Amino acid sequence: MSRYLVACDAGGTMTDVIIVDEEGRSVIGKAPTSPQDESIGYMESFWEALEYMGIPQAEGHDFGEKIETAIYTGTSMLNTVINMNGYKTGILVTRGFEDIISQGRGSQTFIGAQWSEITHMQYRRHRTPLVPRQLARGVTERIDMFGTPVIPLYEEEVRRGAKELIGDEKVEAIAIIFLQSFVNPAHENRAAEICREVMKELGRDVVLEVSNKVAPTTREISRANATVIQAYASDPARKQLFRIEEELQKTGYGHSLKTVLGYGGITNIRYPRLFEAAMSGPVGGLMGAKYLSSVIGEENIVCSDVGGTSFDAGTITAGVLPIDREPGFQDMYVNVPMLGITSIGAGTGTYIRVDPQTNRIKLGPDSAGGTPGPTFMEAGNTTPTINDVNLLLGILSETNYLGGKVKINKDVSYALFKEKVSDPLGLDVYEAAETCLELLNVMMREHLVNSLMVGHDLREYVLLGYGGGGPLHLLGYAGDFPWKAVCTVPHAGGFSAWGGACMDYSHRRHKSVGAVLTPDLDDATKLQYLQPVTTAWDELEAELRSELKEEGFEESQVSISRVVYMKYYGQLDDLEVDSPVENFKTISDMDSLVQSFEELYAKMFTLAARPDVGAYHITEVCVVAKVATVKPKLRKFELSDPKPDQAAYKCSRPVFMRGKWQDADIWEMEKLVPGNEIKGLAVIEASNTTLFVPPEWHVKIDDHDIYWLTRKDS
Amino acid sequence: MAHPLLDEMKAQEEAFKQTGHLFGLERLARKESDPGTYEAVWHILSNLCNAAWATGCKVSSSPIAAEGGDALWGLHTSTGEAICISRGISAHAGLLSDMIKNFIGLGYEEYPGFKQGDIFENNDPHYGGIHSPDFDMCMPLFYGGKLIAWASCVSHVSDAGSVTPGSIGFLNPDCYSDGLPISMERVGEHDRFYPWYEMRIRSRTRTPDFVMGDARGRLAGCITIRERLEEVIEKYGLDLFLDVGREYVEDSRRYAVGRVKTQTVPGRIRKSQFKDLAMKGKRVLLAKQDIDCAFNLPMELTINADASVDLSLQGASGTVPFGENISPTALKSGLMMGYSHIVGFDMFNSGPIAAWNIEMPPAGSWANPFEVDYQAASGVAWAPAVTWVSNLYEVFGRLFQMRGFVEEMAAGSGTIMTAEFSGINQTGMYLTGLTLEQASQGSPARGYSDGENSAWCIYTPEADFGNAEISELYYPILFLGRNVAPNSGGYGQFRGGLGHTAVWMVHNTPGLEYQCGDAGMRSKMVANHGMYGAYPVVPDRPAYGHKTNVKELIDSQSPLIHGRGDPESPAVASLIEADIVEDNAVAPFVTPEPLVDYDVIVHPIAGAQAMGDPILRDPASVARDLNEGWTTTRVATELHGVVADKPNGAFVVDEEATQAQRESIRKARLARAIPFKEWWQSECEKVAAQENMDPAIQTMWASSMALSPKYAEELRAFWGLPEDFTFGA
Repeated sequence: MSRYLVACDAGGTMTDVIIVDEEGRSVIGKAPTSPQDESIGYMESFWEALEYMGIPQAEGHDFGEKIETAIYTGTSMLNTVINMNGYKTGILVTRGFEDIISQGRGSQTFIGAQWSEITHMQYRRHRTPLVPRQLARGVTERIDMFGTPVIPLYEEEVRRGAKELIGDEKVEAIAIIFLQSFVNPAHENRAAEICREVMKELGRDVVLEVSNKVAPTTREISRANATVIQAYASDPARKQLFRIEEELQKTGYGHSLKTVLGYGGITNIRYPRLFEAAMSGPVGGLMGAKYLSSVIGEENIVCSDVGGTSFDAGTITAGVLPIDREPGFQDMYVNVPMLGITSIGAGTGTYIRVDPQTNRIKLGPDSAGGTPGPTFMEAGNTTPTINDVNLLLGILSETNYLGGKVKINKDVSYALFKEKVSDPLGLDVYEAAETCLELLNVMMREHLVNSLMVGHDLREYVLLGYGGGGPLHLLGYAGDFPWKAVCTVPHAGGFSAWGGACMDYSHRRHKSVGAVLTPDLDDATKLQYLQPVTTAWDELEAELRSELKEEGFEESQVSISRVVYMKYYGQLDDLEVDSPVENFKTISDMDSLVQSFEELYAKMFTLAARPDVGAYHITEVCVVAKVATVKPKLRKFELSDPKPDQAAYKCSRPVFMRGKWQDADIWEMEKLVPGNEIKGLAVIEASNTTLFVPPEWHVKIDDHDIYWLTRKDS
Repeated sequence: MAHPLLDEMKAQEEAFKQTGHLFGLERLARKESDPGTYEAVWHILSNLCNAAWATGCKVSSSPIAAEGGDALWGLHTSTGEAICISRGISAHAGLLSDMIKNFIGLGYEEYPGFKQGDIFENNDPHYGGIHSPDFDMCMPLFYGGKLIAWASCVSHVSDAGSVTPGSIGFLNPDCYSDGLPISMERVGEHDRFYPWYEMRIRSRTRTPDFVMGDARGRLAGCITIRERLEEVIEKYGLDLFLDVGREYVEDSRRYAVGRVKTQTVPGRIRKSQFKDLAMKGKRVLLAKQDIDCAFNLPMELTINADASVDLSLQGASGTVPFGENISPTALKSGLMMGYSHIVGFDMFNSGPIAAWNIEMPPAGSWANPFEVDYQAASGVAWAPAVTWVSNLYEVFGRLFQMRGFVEEMAAGSGTIMTAEFSGINQTGMYLTGLTLEQASQGSPARGYSDGENSAWCIYTPEADFGNAEISELYYPILFLGRNVAPNSGGYGQFRGGLGHTAVWMVHNTPGLEYQCGDAGMRSKMVANHGMYGAYPVVPDRPAYGHKTNVKELIDSQSPLIHGRGDPESPAVASLIEADIVEDNAVAPFVTPEPLVDYDVIVHPIAGAQAMGDPILRDPASVARDLNEGWTTTRVATELHGVVADKPNGAFVVDEEATQAQRESIRKARLARAIPFKEWWQSECEKVAAQENMDPAIQTMWASSMALSPKYAEELRAFWGLPEDFTFGA
């Protein structure tokens, strides 16, 4: 009997489910996301995918028996926070900081905003706090940066606060956040004990989270946000995941559902720190790219995901994905490790406007998304979008939108684009359309280069495009930059879901430390100062090994890597350095680490930036524990003739490019096979994506069914 | 010797004069013919500046630059006009531009000459700098052997070697005490600083490693701009870059004019505003500083029929023997930043400056000091000047209201009282610098809603106070509180966003200087007066206790101090005992002696100004503020006329009692009201008699009138004063 992997990517609009067999063959189903009960969208998408396998729903009732692993990536936690339907949560916090959640901080009012919005004071808005001020209780205590208790814990205040929150306010969860608790957790842990005593006394059980367990890293506001999200949203979101698991089990699925963590690993949905899954949306694509890179032997990949509303980008360097330790999430900064992904509001649904005052073209940042969608959908939107432009230019087909399932009206696009864009600009409709498309491509290209490539040489990187709109725009934003290579995959629309199946079972723990190594110290003192680093590594490793053991893994299955975050002393930003050593027994161990750091620093910044003081500061350590999982095979095919089968050729269609109409060959992606080659100008259409090949480009499908795109003159 | 840049600059000035368009650009040819490339290159150049920001801030070591956003990078035309700037402290956009023009104007292209890799700097207010801690840098950029652009940067360093430690030298009595001057100097070549530049920083600043780290950050960012610009020119061509660079500046000017045309009404509008600096009897440096001072900040804005804007700052009062004097160059640049807060440009550069005709403050005033008082100090030059920025908010708010753009209205900003520490910290290192607290005030009340708490800063849009745990890494303090300050946003239909109160306990130091500094605070005057009938709040009042019994309180687990307490009844004196207890200290000041462990400081950060009559405030909003602890029942009842009970732990509005209370307030108002003319006549008599007028106020008025005769004439006419009347006589 064949075994299958089932992975899903539940986006804000659509839920994709991909089913992959042992040979790496895959099918993708799509259905609208159903935020109130995500199992509905999940199962609809699942049944559709089965249909693509030739199994009608009526015959698939026991298909779950064949599923080895089912993985969820998506928005259950996000929806809980957006809809504000998590647990009624109270906080116990260092006295004087009762407003820590409701007050937030200024920079949280402009996360992700454009500079023109940041400078315009009228746009400032705090989000609605997850914990209202009335549910905050202060506790007198203080620990200093060295971990020394300076003001003891006033236990009576803890007891009183806990009684008020649990007994009077009837909270469902309590988060405890004390300053510097990541250095010394004693006060927080004791407060938690008292809360448990109060719970017992009052006969009420509530969720209890302490910040030193949830996210033992510095920056109290972000740690508080992490702890509150964990208390507020984890259990309610987990209930959604249990619903999906329950539905899958009805089909005979015999294992637990897995979910994706923001730093790119999978875990059981019963995982305690489920808030780490809050930002797992764009992770699947990056992890899919990472897996792809390991199979095809490319270590440096720039990953680009074009969706309907946003353009997400991440970089794999030497096989490693960088981690953002304080990402923005729903207008909060959160101490949670997350893959370094940056986004801009630019996608196929991005609105196109012309500013009436300046007559300048404005793209987005907002978009029509899937609903109401581009104007050609005739679903209420009258503002032209990028996909209207793609249609006008002949790149998108009138008859193949979403595989021909959706009927569209090109005349509407033409009329609205003319009225609202090309006429105000004084340009011909098609010239204006091409101008808008090129501008979007420049925005995407700049986002890739500026956000991700500080200190890196493009010539060493492969550019990979995916997402529903990835292949459509890939060669536009690849531009004439000297990428090592440019590629995409036939299942680009479902690549993020596929990536969800490509991850190892992985847990990651961070802890703030403070080791300052100055040149005047003797070797023995340096080693002594490094001792806290080794101690923290050992503690975190023991913790992770214990967690994985409880989840049923053998000691021998777990692989460990140790990381430090390091900077020149006095600088504010540190760099993530994979430690070449496991501990610091001799001074040469330290020298090895310093060498790794300096090599990375010189690569990231100009030589002029390097201070000559020779003092280093290790700010944080991290341990990553992984258990390898079975991943979908990347199938290897026999290479066929470069000339595609005639059946794959659909027709010729005029496409407007560089100011004139040119005939493009239209191909059907599903009928192309490895070995085939196609020259631009061409459009390769599939049911869930469209690959656009400009005249100067050439496509070659390799034996893994990866589409490599090269310039004809290269 | 030829001066091609100088000649070009003069030709551009002439072209503007002749045509009314920058560079004489009556048509934006590149924009018209190829709007897509025009936008694309703008996008690339903006990103290029932000790449410089990203690189520079990562390399910088000052928390003020990287965490507080007090830095900026820019790209300029060959003659210095700013084409685009990075994120950061946009107040410097005009100033950096003027610095480059100044290098050209002073003949530097002849000697010492400009070449690739040169590094030029200035921080000297006499040559257009704002104050010594703001190091302004520029580098000429060459292509094909020709100077085609400039990269620029400013960053605020933690110590510039002024007479008192730190970067906000409000106590500086003269320019010689302002610290290390870099006076229009070439400080490096071939992308490297001269060794003597670093040696000077090491010998003349207190935190040289941080200062040099920031210098390297500035340099790294400028080099990033150069390298990326070369790629742009390779792709799009030099001619296109040169053309669009100029068009962006002119386009931005047109946008500024367009916003005025479409959102305001023609006419003349005035705003009067004052700031004080009460120093009499406090720790000062020289005897001449044992005085109280006041600053006059009048503003008159005229919108002409063609939407051109005339801004007059005549009437500004005379210089002061403190660090609050500012150069006109810096002032103009700061005003434009304020305008950007109102408008929200996405193409902000030198253009908007050219949209306004600014009649600068008179020579000899605190805002144009050097022609008359060459020795004037500028340690914290923008302290009074930010009030003019706040005035701009209010003036434009009124103009927007007249045209119906209610959503664009904003009341004035909050005041800025800084905290700066110096001393040996908990790791044994000498440290001095600003905390980030003041970079996060309340945002102004809007025309339709309250402002946001701790979310705005008048001098940088990157308003943020960061994390307390990060501050505790640098300074020998423990935070005992950082909560919202109740009643700090004024009282109106819509209140300003609230400020917050930082409470610190000194910890782990042999001695710590606390400078409660002036960066736009008020000593005794009311600044936060609000718009359209809103009420003000009291001036900035910090508190502290020195040589306290806090250790004993901790040992006995007694209550400590975590906030200012009831705003009308501060907490320090009632909760602790100490050798010195200041519950309502008049800012600014430096503590009489270094603070020691267990001393406590209560440092409030202002909220912003309110808008509208307080009794029009939605009672539900008052109840919410009561429940959040953001206001008090006295304020609710007496100022807002809202009666609220707390039957089940939460305040609920008593609708009937509220209606009655509001009616009673209205009646009381009517009972004490007199006709305006009557009131005005009585005020005229008081003014003529200089009744109860403090000498600082008399001096302020006298200097204003002496320096601006036309202003004096109007003032005398308004108050019915004799033609030879002078104050203080």
